[in-house]
Amino acid sequence: MMKRNGTGWLFASPYLLYAVIFFAIPLIWSMYLSFTDWNLISPVYYFKGFDNFIEAVKHPGVQAAFFVTFKFMAAFVPVVIVSSLAVALVIHGLPKFKGLFLIGFFLPYLASGVVSSLIVKGLLSHNSAFNVFLRKFGIEVDWLSTPLSALLVVAAIIAWKFTGYYALILTAGFEGINKDVYEAAAIDGVTPSQRFWKITLPLLYPALFTVLILSIGVSFGIFTEVYQLTGGGPNYATNTWQMEIFKQAFTNLSAGYASAVAIIASVVTFASILVIRKLLEMWGKRNGWV
Amino acid sequence: MKMKKAASLFLTATIATSALAGCSTGNGGSKSADGKTTIEFWAAPNPTQQVYWKEMAEEFEKENPKIDVKVSPIKESPTSEASIQSAIAGKSAPTMSENINRGFAAQLAESKALVPLNEVEGWDELLKNRNMTDTVKTWKFADDNQYVMPIYSNPMLFGWRIDILKEVGVNEIPKTYSEVLDAVKKLKAKHPDKYLWAKGDLADPTAWKRWFDFFMLYDAASGGNNFIEGDKFVAEDEAGLNVLKFMGDLQKEDALLTKQATDPFESGLGIFTDLGPWTFSYWEEKFPEMKYNETFGLALPPVPDGADTENVNTFADTKGIVIYASATEEERKAAMEFMNFVYSNPENDLKWLETTKLPPARDDLSSNDSFKAFFDKNPELKPYADAVPNAIPSIDNAKYNELQTHIGRYAVNPVVKGEVDPEKGWKEMKKAIKEELKK
Repeated sequence: MMKRNGTGWLFASPYLLYAVIFFAIPLIWSMYLSFTDWNLISPVYYFKGFDNFIEAVKHPGVQAAFFVTFKFMAAFVPVVIVSSLAVALVIHGLPKFKGLFLIGFFLPYLASGVVSSLIVKGLLSHNSAFNVFLRKFGIEVDWLSTPLSALLVVAAIIAWKFTGYYALILTAGFEGINKDVYEAAAIDGVTPSQRFWKITLPLLYPALFTVLILSIGVSFGIFTEVYQLTGGGPNYATNTWQMEIFKQAFTNLSAGYASAVAIIASVVTFASILVIRKLLEMWGKRNGWV
Repeated sequence: MKMKKAASLFLTATIATSALAGCSTGNGGSKSADGKTTIEFWAAPNPTQQVYWKEMAEEFEKENPKIDVKVSPIKESPTSEASIQSAIAGKSAPTMSENINRGFAAQLAESKALVPLNEVEGWDELLKNRNMTDTVKTWKFADDNQYVMPIYSNPMLFGWRIDILKEVGVNEIPKTYSEVLDAVKKLKAKHPDKYLWAKGDLADPTAWKRWFDFFMLYDAASGGNNFIEGDKFVAEDEAGLNVLKFMGDLQKEDALLTKQATDPFESGLGIFTDLGPWTFSYWEEKFPEMKYNETFGLALPPVPDGADTENVNTFADTKGIVIYASATEEERKAAMEFMNFVYSNPENDLKWLETTKLPPARDDLSSNDSFKAFFDKNPELKPYADAVPNAIPSIDNAKYNELQTHIGRYAVNPVVKGEVDPEKGWKEMKKAIKEELKK
């Protein structure tokens, strides 16, 4: 038994070492920093107790990050779920070349967020062909300086990026549904609507559950698109947790305060995902899907 | 069993050692057994400055065989400031680096991460040899020390589309706020779809963006009066309010476009913009139709009515060299020797000017014969050289990011969008800045 344990530990040691160096130590270090006013370079620094946390909770940037995340979630999750479901349904129904189309839709996921954001920035600039065309019809939108449109533009880019990835998971879910079930249902005379709600959705639930949790997780980690397109503005309308942490840590060089914000963000993320996960499980159980 | 345990421990220790060794990049410099001092110099992360500094290092080493200068670029991930900060925290800071602005230097100086250059032997000689005694005065920090050796002092100027101005009947570049507003009226009458100032950054609170709008106008309106001194807000209310009122008037005349636009000045969508000398190399390649004194002209910032329109102050985009506190005495001395070598010869400043088009921070830039041929060949850069003595560098407060964000968030951004009146914007900005300074 001892011998088996030793070999097990030996094989697990690279991961354990990785986790200790890149996860546990930074986490403990960050927790320590969050109680100080250290800027990482000063030889003199002071313990501030919970001051950083109190200051963070009162800060408009942090308050905005809390609400903006849920706004992004409300805009991004439904769009990405519907679009990835639609893509998965179409690909599932294809007689041939499913893999090829899946790769095609997956490509935006591999695209650099910086590049796609810069392209969108060009497309939405005041003198772009798109806006010149809209102005011919009297439509004048300040896409990135209006709170709602800025939020929707960022949500749309991220939805575009993740649709193919989630469609891949959902397609695997569709492929896993036994065709015999549909045949039996057809014999029983079920309608297309019943077929979707009573057969497809329950059997797709595990894949859908995964996609929902992943997309909710993405809402808490938005950074590149916001950084490139809006910088968190206008007036904090797109200020995400990551954006706020970046600004405090790397622009204002307030490492202690930024650590406190990061810890608050982790707690909010963890608690939110836990609650949403429980709700999703309850939804599945109530419908008898799990 | 013992063997396996030992092998397991050995493997773990090897991985740990390798991983930790990978985190280190060595220290900033050293002195080897043969008495050679090695200094590490981090240069700005752009190819032209890399080439310049490598060339300087090679020439210096030929004359100073006992000193090695290792030039490498500052990493820009996530920002060059963050890379420097991480290097200092990781005890792997170089001996010296360039590309440091005054605000960041103030942050580093507050953390005792910089060497006061005035305490290193050879500093006075350097100022004298480079003829920069006056220029460097504005670089003195609140504690009376000099932490940065300014390489270039780039007075920011405003570019005007003189071809469009002439087309609408304005033959002289406007110098006062009233003249600007008159030009706007003429522009709007003929081209309602054009703007005076088309710049999305006007509505963006990011701190550094205020250098290229608010501070240019404030320095001009206040005659170069400080905005912050040490930990005190000392800005001149009248000048600040005048700037905001000017911005508010432009907004009322529909002369500001605060949406993002592609190449607005070059396309003629806007006819006024802040311009730095780096723009001209870019234009040579991408917009060859932009010709100095034909399509565009350069001018100091407009001033309030009644103010002197000569010797107008403007913001100076300036960066310089610092020596890090982690450097040993030998390394500090070697670093100062290297700077003295580079800056004792005006030819090296000329080479810098030719390579980067950024005006060296010297008192005699527009009068020294070494640079005459260059400015004759590049007349669009002459106004920058002329304005060097009137250029005001950025504030030297460690909280400059937060402070300048407040200028944007409470004053400039809402005023240019017509959301608050200038008085209210100025009052709220002052309140936020004072609270920030108290923290």
